[in-house]
Amino acid sequence: MVRRPPPLTRPLTTALTVLLAALRAAPSRLAGRFTSRLHDERVAAWLGMALGVSLLSAFATGLISHFMQHPPGWMRWPSRPVNLYRVTQGVHVIGGLATVPLLLAKLWTVYPKLWQWPPVRSAPHGARRLLVFVLVGAALFQFVTGVLNIAYWYAFPFLFTTAHYWTAYIVIGAVLIHAADEWPKVRRTVMTRPQDAVGRRAFLLTVAGASGVITAVTVGEAFSPLARLAVLAPRRPGTGPQGLPVNKSAAAAGVSAAARDPGWRLTVTGRVRRDVVLTLDGLRALPQHSARLPIACVEGWSADADWRGVRLRDLLALAGADDAARVRVESLQTFGLYRTSRLDPGHWHDPLTLLALDLNGDPLDLDHGHPCRLIAPNRPGVLQTKWVHRLVVL
Amino acid sequence: MKIAVFGAGLALIAIGVRGVVANVDAVVWLAWFAGAAVLHDGVLVPLVLAAGLATGRLPAPARQAVRAGLIAAGCVCAVALPLVLGYGRRADEPSRLPLPYGRNLAIVLALITVATAVTVAVRVRTARRARREGRA
Repeated sequence: MVRRPPPLTRPLTTALTVLLAALRAAPSRLAGRFTSRLHDERVAAWLGMALGVSLLSAFATGLISHFMQHPPGWMRWPSRPVNLYRVTQGVHVIGGLATVPLLLAKLWTVYPKLWQWPPVRSAPHGARRLLVFVLVGAALFQFVTGVLNIAYWYAFPFLFTTAHYWTAYIVIGAVLIHAADEWPKVRRTVMTRPQDAVGRRAFLLTVAGASGVITAVTVGEAFSPLARLAVLAPRRPGTGPQGLPVNKSAAAAGVSAAARDPGWRLTVTGRVRRDVVLTLDGLRALPQHSARLPIACVEGWSADADWRGVRLRDLLALAGADDAARVRVESLQTFGLYRTSRLDPGHWHDPLTLLALDLNGDPLDLDHGHPCRLIAPNRPGVLQTKWVHRLVVL
Repeated sequence: MKIAVFGAGLALIAIGVRGVVANVDAVVWLAWFAGAAVLHDGVLVPLVLAAGLATGRLPAPARQAVRAGLIAAGCVCAVALPLVLGYGRRADEPSRLPLPYGRNLAIVLALITVATAVTVAVRVRTARRARREGRA
């Protein structure tokens, strides 16, 4: 509908009036110009259901990762199953990547609603639209920062883990409200059969196919049998010193000199019956044990390796530590968020938990934590402290 | 029930907002939050719509396959772009971003193109045969 401006004498006013009328009329017509029949309630509902499941899984696995790294005082993580963190974080990252097509398809499907006219019909309608904006903004924020972070591209000036963690609550809160709000549409979609021959299935299969392609070219960074297929993953199991990727090099950690120093000693101290101080040879003279354990990184990649070294529980028994004590493992690093990590009793009693001296048959590479590093089952890679020089019993 | 879910949702949003305000530079965070939405709605979707208009001119049997190919290719590019640009590379950590991502992305896109082309060829042939049989 085009409004005719009233006849006016002055040309400038006429032009202005025409322009204003056009501006007023344009948005109301715009929503009608999206001709694809896939901008549709049923498509949006199916995509929304899939997206809801994906986001909930990302939230749950994300919380696991957060609370493994920042456990409240009462929390105890089990040391088994060995691969638990590897699986949850793999699902978080690879699942997140596979969700990108779902999110983009969903937003495209409902895009005409962005231009609805009038933009706000009532206070509840306005509140609902504000919540949708919160949902869209927060979801895009999570995906953009997540994709950049696993590529080590810190384009944002805030700390990724902090921003990603808190924004997750906003996403999930907005998802809950949105799902409750749209529940009748979901019900209608699931309970009725469409009679209109719109090619929804082909579109939904295409979106699933795009997710499948992304999964295929990335999942090998966490699932090693498919490593050679992971052509668009930031890591490749098998690539790195001694066949294992490195997250932080000795140079980046500023420990190259200290870790090579022949005067290096391992000290077990704190609430012990006697301090134990060991040279590298002294450490090698203790009973050595092997363990096949993964490095499972917060960035989603993981890779198995053969480790050999001294059981942590043997060392702590030597110092006479209390069975229920916690232990702080300290690196030679003088800076960095992860220069120390804490081990709960369950973790240090586990026979698989080692202070490793060898990796895949050879002494640890400097970048893997020479002279010795912590390796424990079911534990994020950033907590597998490298270049260890002190164990403090708390 | 609905009110309980709304309450829980609002509480979670409040927790998140409080956490952001307390722990992150909220202005920068807001810029990324709103910026992502604005760029998505103002740039990415219009590009997709333009691609939809352009492919709308294709003959019907080819259209769907070409659009499917473009969707897959676009999504792969979105995820792979930071790897191809490679700003996260570090000389002292060669196992980080160790692959030639530009070449790999080109290979994946080529495979998607081949799959699309084969589908288009099959669809066009089927459509042509159907038309011929319809005439006969």
